[in-house]
Amino acid sequence: MQTSVSQNKVVSGFKDKANKALGISRQDALISKSYLAVAFIALLLGGLLGLLQGLNRAGLLELPAWLNYYQILTAHGILLVVVLSAFFTIGYFYAGLSHTLGGLLPKVRKIAWIGFWTKIVGFVLVVIPILMNEASVMYTFYPPMAAHPMFYFGLALIVVGVWFLAAGAFINVAHWRKNHKGEHLPILAFFATGVFVLLVGATAFVAVEVLFMIIPWSLGWVDTINVMVARTLFWAFGHTAVNIWYLTAVSAWYVVIPKVIGGTRFNDYLTRVVVIALVIMNITGGFHHQIIDPGISLPIKFMHVFMSLAIGFPSLMTAYAMFRVFERTGRRKDAKGALGWIKKLPWGDVRFLSPFIAMAAFAPAGAGGIVQSTNQLDQVVHNTMWIVGHFHLTLGMSVIMTFFGVSYWLVPYISNRVLTPKMNKLGVIQTIIWTIGMVIMAFSMHTAGLFGAPRRTSYTTYGDFSSSLGWDPYMAAVGVGATLLLVAVIIQVYAVFNMMFFAPKGTTEFPIAEVEENEAKTPYMTERWGVWVVVMLIVIAMAYVLPLTDMIVNAPPGSPPFKTW
Amino acid sequence: MMTQFIYGLLFYIFLMLPPVANLVESIMITHMHMQMPMLVISGFLMAGIFLKRFPRFFEKWNSNGIPGITLFMIVIICWTIPRTMDEALTLQAIEAWKFISLPFLAGFPLRDSWKKLTKAGKNLIIIIFTVKYFGMGALYIWSEDQLCNNYLVIDQLTLGWGFITTAICLVIYLVYAFTVDPTKYE
Repeated sequence: MQTSVSQNKVVSGFKDKANKALGISRQDALISKSYLAVAFIALLLGGLLGLLQGLNRAGLLELPAWLNYYQILTAHGILLVVVLSAFFTIGYFYAGLSHTLGGLLPKVRKIAWIGFWTKIVGFVLVVIPILMNEASVMYTFYPPMAAHPMFYFGLALIVVGVWFLAAGAFINVAHWRKNHKGEHLPILAFFATGVFVLLVGATAFVAVEVLFMIIPWSLGWVDTINVMVARTLFWAFGHTAVNIWYLTAVSAWYVVIPKVIGGTRFNDYLTRVVVIALVIMNITGGFHHQIIDPGISLPIKFMHVFMSLAIGFPSLMTAYAMFRVFERTGRRKDAKGALGWIKKLPWGDVRFLSPFIAMAAFAPAGAGGIVQSTNQLDQVVHNTMWIVGHFHLTLGMSVIMTFFGVSYWLVPYISNRVLTPKMNKLGVIQTIIWTIGMVIMAFSMHTAGLFGAPRRTSYTTYGDFSSSLGWDPYMAAVGVGATLLLVAVIIQVYAVFNMMFFAPKGTTEFPIAEVEENEAKTPYMTERWGVWVVVMLIVIAMAYVLPLTDMIVNAPPGSPPFKTW
Repeated sequence: MMTQFIYGLLFYIFLMLPPVANLVESIMITHMHMQMPMLVISGFLMAGIFLKRFPRFFEKWNSNGIPGITLFMIVIICWTIPRTMDEALTLQAIEAWKFISLPFLAGFPLRDSWKKLTKAGKNLIIIIFTVKYFGMGALYIWSEDQLCNNYLVIDQLTLGWGFITTAICLVIYLVYAFTVDPTKYE
């Protein structure tokens, strides 16, 4: 037994080295490539639909009768929020697991492919009713709006696909730990574990919502649905999903960016604590999306403000850590003065520039988030364009620009190709166009929202009512922003497929920064995922039992399905 | 240790502030499942410095951790009885007793005893709590009558489900503790 374990260790140690020297294995690369290809095709389609919406809201484009505004809005949301983000996250972390754990296990590869095709089939089932205008319920699919049942079956399959991927990741991590007793999980795999734990936790809620509430209702087996419970389950998932992509971006900030700028990682212990804190406190944050929902009592909302702001704490730790790393690296390169280190950062390198702008965007995005988790302020902005501006800042900048930055080394890495200086330059141009487009768009959306322009509404001037005419200049700016963004999308998608199939052959490094020398050893408790998961479950129970019991016991009669479009 | 003591003390004072105490006591489940555990945590944080300052006292009275954990269990179980909660809200003396007993007679002995217990002892305590929580959950959910004068039946039902979900989490932990062999990984 002992020998087999030690032999195993030797083999896997050898595999580790081979992996680092030769790059990713062809089979592992294919998995990540497939995920990234789907992600960026979704970006192209979703971006195109985004332009149509932007031009419609700007009052420049009247959509033809066969193409409904809400149909486009649903598809735009599903493509970018569900497909792009989830597929990128999985492609990136599977490449990371393969790189840091010495390759994926054959059975994990099999599981990853089963998950991939389950998700694709699910996605096709979702798209068909959207194309038929039978599912224009937007990506939040709030009851009592009811889509064609096929839409929900598709969603359920996507969730099952996610569970396959999570199971695969856990199996690979457990295998590595068995062969590396007492060692800390490599940091990127640690992030991946956190992300997959959250994915399982989050999708469990939406699975209950879809399987036990919406599907029986949309098939007509039950007459009514408890709208409040459905919304609550949705946001336990929806909020966490958002934070999963954020955590994915954060993983690149902590692990990859320091290497790209030629520095070392911030404290390993703090990094792991941030991951654990985000995992434990995340799901309960979902309530702030319902902060102006009726039917939730005031003390509950008040307590949930704490749960939401608690998530801000690890984010502030992250902000500190990032700027500390930048400063430390700059000073080691002989930066002078208080701010001289800024000049030492590699501004011409798209792998740094794009994620840096993403981080910078998180400052206003986070501040806006705090505004929205405050009941009185949220009452002013909740159903307005402000919210749309907010999530275009958080997802469209903080998350997606990090993903873009990552793509400029990840795609060449998995394709055994290199990032050419020319492509880097194109990337920098793409980053600038995207930044300008998104800043114009998000700023105008926030402002129009403050003036009362509603979200989730097709273009209308409300009979040329004076107030609503005042939104027009801002909405025109949204159209301008959307146009610039589509240009950036086209460049980005071109860059990804060029780097995947046509760029010059060569080896690209998977950039993972080392820890500081002489750093104190991280306590082993960070590796006790079983305990953290139980703590997470207890926190969820604490947060959800009270409002859910109230919503179920004191429920109104419930609602029949409605087709509002 | 000193910083922990200060944090514990500040936390304790925070929990005593009338608006904080009134808010958490206004809802049955937050009274029992939020205020009370937080009082224990505040005591747990404050205890460290006393354990260091008076090691002989704790060694003499709680050498193997069993007396301490027994005291902890008695205090905690006492505070899950509906009547004690009711009295805490109606009688000032009982309210004061809650703020003394939970940090100092539950938080302190927990800190001293937990690390002295064997693994089996720790699991036994968790098993006792699991069984008790299922029982209390059943009591609060299926009791036809209003158990506390100060809380409505819906509050009681909510607390019952709070017990059940916590017990489920403890079961998940126990399954993890008994099925996963840490020596394979550590």
